[in-house]
Amino acid sequence: MANRLLEVTDLEVAYGDVRALWGVSIHVDAGTVVAIVGANGAGKTTMLRAISGLVPVQGGTVTLGGAPLAGLAPEAIARLGIAHVPEGRGLFRQMTVLENLELGAFQPKARRNMRQALEKAYALFPRLKERAGQKAGSLSGGEQQMLAIARATMSDPKLLILDEPSIGLSPLVVQQMFSLIETLHKQGVTILLVEQNIHQALKIADYGFVLKTGEIAMQGTGAELIADPEIQKAYMGVLEL
Amino acid sequence: MFDLPPPAIFLQLSLNGALGGAMYGVAAVGLSLIFGTMRLIFLAQGAMIILAACFVRALFQSFGIDPFLSLVIVVPVGLAAGWLIYQGLFRKAAAEEDRNISLLIAVGLMFLAENLMTVVWGGNTAGVVTSYTASGIHILGIRTSFTRTMGFLIALAGTGLVMLFLRKTLVGKAVRAASEDMTAASLMGISPHRVNAIAFAIGIALAGAAGVAVATTFPFNPFAGFIFSLKALVALALGGIGSVAGALAGGIILGLIEAYVQFFVGGSWTNAVAYGVFLAVLMFKPEGLFGRPYKKA
Repeated sequence: MANRLLEVTDLEVAYGDVRALWGVSIHVDAGTVVAIVGANGAGKTTMLRAISGLVPVQGGTVTLGGAPLAGLAPEAIARLGIAHVPEGRGLFRQMTVLENLELGAFQPKARRNMRQALEKAYALFPRLKERAGQKAGSLSGGEQQMLAIARATMSDPKLLILDEPSIGLSPLVVQQMFSLIETLHKQGVTILLVEQNIHQALKIADYGFVLKTGEIAMQGTGAELIADPEIQKAYMGVLEL
Repeated sequence: MFDLPPPAIFLQLSLNGALGGAMYGVAAVGLSLIFGTMRLIFLAQGAMIILAACFVRALFQSFGIDPFLSLVIVVPVGLAAGWLIYQGLFRKAAAEEDRNISLLIAVGLMFLAENLMTVVWGGNTAGVVTSYTASGIHILGIRTSFTRTMGFLIALAGTGLVMLFLRKTLVGKAVRAASEDMTAASLMGISPHRVNAIAFAIGIALAGAAGVAVATTFPFNPFAGFIFSLKALVALALGGIGSVAGALAGGIILGLIEAYVQFFVGGSWTNAVAYGVFLAVLMFKPEGLFGRPYKKA
């Protein structure tokens, strides 16, 4: 068996009386890209938020490298090595690009490698170096998403979580975004990706899960899922002939 | 025909207003920091200032410690006290979505502090009278009080140090980040409790510095703090909630308004005008005179 990094077992989450996740199990192996796809409201974002401690969990377990995460505060989970780029990016818009990147390396362990991490981030995102002194809120949508991802890599995380990185971006920028994710993948970063851009996401994913109304409906390698007629019909707008 | 007063009067009024307003400003900086991370209007800030002033007065009367020298005691004690106040009183309430609990705790702390001061030091109005209390210095050809000028410098230095901390240190940047978006900050590994405690520590340390300025400039009693909290709130609104430099500037503007109103309209109008300005700013320019729009966390 490959090296299991993240293991989510029978995860249950409810908002008040409304149940969002009904016993979801997924796993992410070290060094892979895993995509979670599904329609709006399927529970994708909720699952990510549960993994990073942003929403309380009613049942099930989450482990990172064998260590249980359930019940920990978000900042504690972040320090254990999960970098979560949330929906809406979560940038500090009033602060500069450089300050945002520095805060990505806030954890004591990352702080010591701040300079190298910054050089690495600038090498990957030269645009951010040009804009280092600008306020994050003044960047274009694509640049903001790049900054959010760059900031998340500053801590050299064990697991990078991306929630809808392509949302609101122009098609050209979406292409850049996915090729960037592939570059990070090649550098050995483990990535858990949630996307509505299902075809693109599955194309770069080693493994994928299809989430449907709070449950895993299907799973398999990216190529298997792309080829699946059910998925083509349900999510990719392929007409049945 | 109405005779304009000589220009020297304007200069004198501006100077007096600015010097007095800096006191409001430094109180507002503390409020701004605490509001920034906790979204709490810390109504006890004025009481903390008076508590520090009482402490400074006691140090002077009992041990002969010069009030300005006592900054080296009051500021570190304020830092520690702020940290403890957060951990002891607010930590649990800060986890609640509802900020009313924190607000009530702040009000309770204010009343407790006022009444404890009355028990320990009595309810009389008294200041610190030193050899230099009555001495004046000349600025731009205008004579002004030495202690008020010192108070102004303390306010400037305190605000400057806070700004340096917020802009130049990583922990300070974390405090700013948390003020803007606490959830995103927690995803960076920044602990909300830690930044809240830091904001409180600095806020109360500033109250300590302001206490020194108050103790040396005018007589006070244990219940004088609430007015300070209110004036600081006005200063905060003027300067824009969430901006440290704006808070100090807001205090100075409020001081100027008060000085001019007092001279040209009459002393009884000063507070009415101050609170009228407060409401007007909140209604027509809620982000403050030079502030950016306020974003909810």
